[in-house]
Amino acid sequence: MGFEKGLIARWRRLLGVPIRWAIRWTAVYPAVRAFAPFVPIIALWALVAASGLFPPVFFPGPWEVLRAFGTLTYKGILPAYFEDSLVRLVAGVAAGVVLGIPLGVLVGLSRRAHAVCWPVLLFFQAIGDIAWLPLLLIWFGFGLTTMTFVIVYTVLFPIVLNTVLGVRSVPLELTRAAQSLGASRARIVAEVVIPGALPNIVTGLRNGLGYGWRALIAAEMIVGTSGIGFLMFDARRAGQVTEILLGMIVLGLLWYVVDGWLLAPLEDATVRRWGLVAT
Amino acid sequence: MKTLAIRRLSKTYFDPYAGAHVPATLDVSLDVQQGEFVSIVGPSGCGKTTLLNMIAGFIPPSAGEIVLDGRRVKGPGPDRGVVFQSFALFPWKTVLENVTFGLKMRGVRREERERVGREYVALVGLSGAEGRYPAELSGGMQQRVGVARALANNPDVLLMDEPFASVDAQTRMTLQEELTRIWQARRPTILFVTHDVEEAVFLANRVVVLSRAPGHVVAELSIPLPRPRAWATLVEDSAFKELVAQVLGLVRPT
Repeated sequence: MGFEKGLIARWRRLLGVPIRWAIRWTAVYPAVRAFAPFVPIIALWALVAASGLFPPVFFPGPWEVLRAFGTLTYKGILPAYFEDSLVRLVAGVAAGVVLGIPLGVLVGLSRRAHAVCWPVLLFFQAIGDIAWLPLLLIWFGFGLTTMTFVIVYTVLFPIVLNTVLGVRSVPLELTRAAQSLGASRARIVAEVVIPGALPNIVTGLRNGLGYGWRALIAAEMIVGTSGIGFLMFDARRAGQVTEILLGMIVLGLLWYVVDGWLLAPLEDATVRRWGLVAT
Repeated sequence: MKTLAIRRLSKTYFDPYAGAHVPATLDVSLDVQQGEFVSIVGPSGCGKTTLLNMIAGFIPPSAGEIVLDGRRVKGPGPDRGVVFQSFALFPWKTVLENVTFGLKMRGVRREERERVGREYVALVGLSGAEGRYPAELSGGMQQRVGVARALANNPDVLLMDEPFASVDAQTRMTLQEELTRIWQARRPTILFVTHDVEEAVFLANRVVVLSRAPGHVVAELSIPLPRPRAWATLVEDSAFKELVAQVLGLVRPT
């Protein structure tokens, strides 16, 4: 307990205000609780690795991966690649949110926009992000444009489609109540439609982030010159199973951080607080 | 005097199953004077809610017109406050933010609208709950917020669509008594739709009885019962019982 507290205090000093805020949300115990189920998995992994059933080159144990984490962090490769991937993801999600939410609100509100856009949206949603890669590589080559396109494309659809659903699920009576209290159309959108659609928008955000992250890794494997996806694919070329495993673990961990420090607090502060979703 | 005049109002729906136009209300005419409390009763499916939705401007009438204070009603507006059966509170707004929503839409300054809001929250007996969210309140409390929200906007007429139908029986009686108290204190013009005959008689100065669908006005009765009204006394009151029996006979003709 005391040790834990000391550790937390050290991290706080190290990482400053935004992380401090995040740590407060996660608190100490949920983090421990979230880690506990992984203990047997890691134990099993260590056991199989130690048994010598597979050559260590193909099946390294947890310690090797941890050591690779230390080495790559020390060399600065892992942090740099991680940052590259994260920046791409954040940029893609930001673009997806900026484009997706207004488009979703428009399509959700306007019958005409819905008639025009909905079939098109469904069609292009069905063409997976990766399916665009051959065409994009011919058009834009192995570069940032291709990568940006893939990630924005992937993030956009879950956000748009869920926003549309959310807008359409706002009870008619709430809109009517706002109208009879003198709200203009624009005010109704801001005060009623968007907050009412928020549970679905958060779902869209969650899906968009998840798909986007996956698409980004895939794009980095094919297109990349940096990033976690590139790290893993490059390690394959060198036969470095340890680094591949490390990349996989980083992917999983990042998702936990995004969900626990970003999406869950957002939900707690809004839709859960308002009683729009079951607690 | 701001009167609400409903002239020969009809609403016809297209029923895709019957493949025909089906009338919901037929030729309803009604005048409501400023400060009156009018109940509209009728059997279920008689078009009471349709009528109220037309007056609120939520749906357009097929024929006839609604005139409020000399102006023809074309759509929803803040001159007609609505209290919904489902409460229709904004879940993402606190009690005070819900109550002051109309004032905010009118551009009233924050301090001013919070002052007015607190006054109306107190009027419906919810002082202390200003900062709570609707999901944290009981059904009865939520509808108190619904009433305060509509009243705080100071409408010319308050339209109430079976507002107490979804709360439990004891709470309903309390809310009915509270509403008569508020009406006596503030004298808002109220048009109250219900299928509950006792409720209609208990609350109103005048009861309008609609027929089975397509609804039209079959009778209007004035309710001369003294105020303040309380269930404890009225439940034994012979005049009250007689009026209830009379209205019931009109709602359910044999």
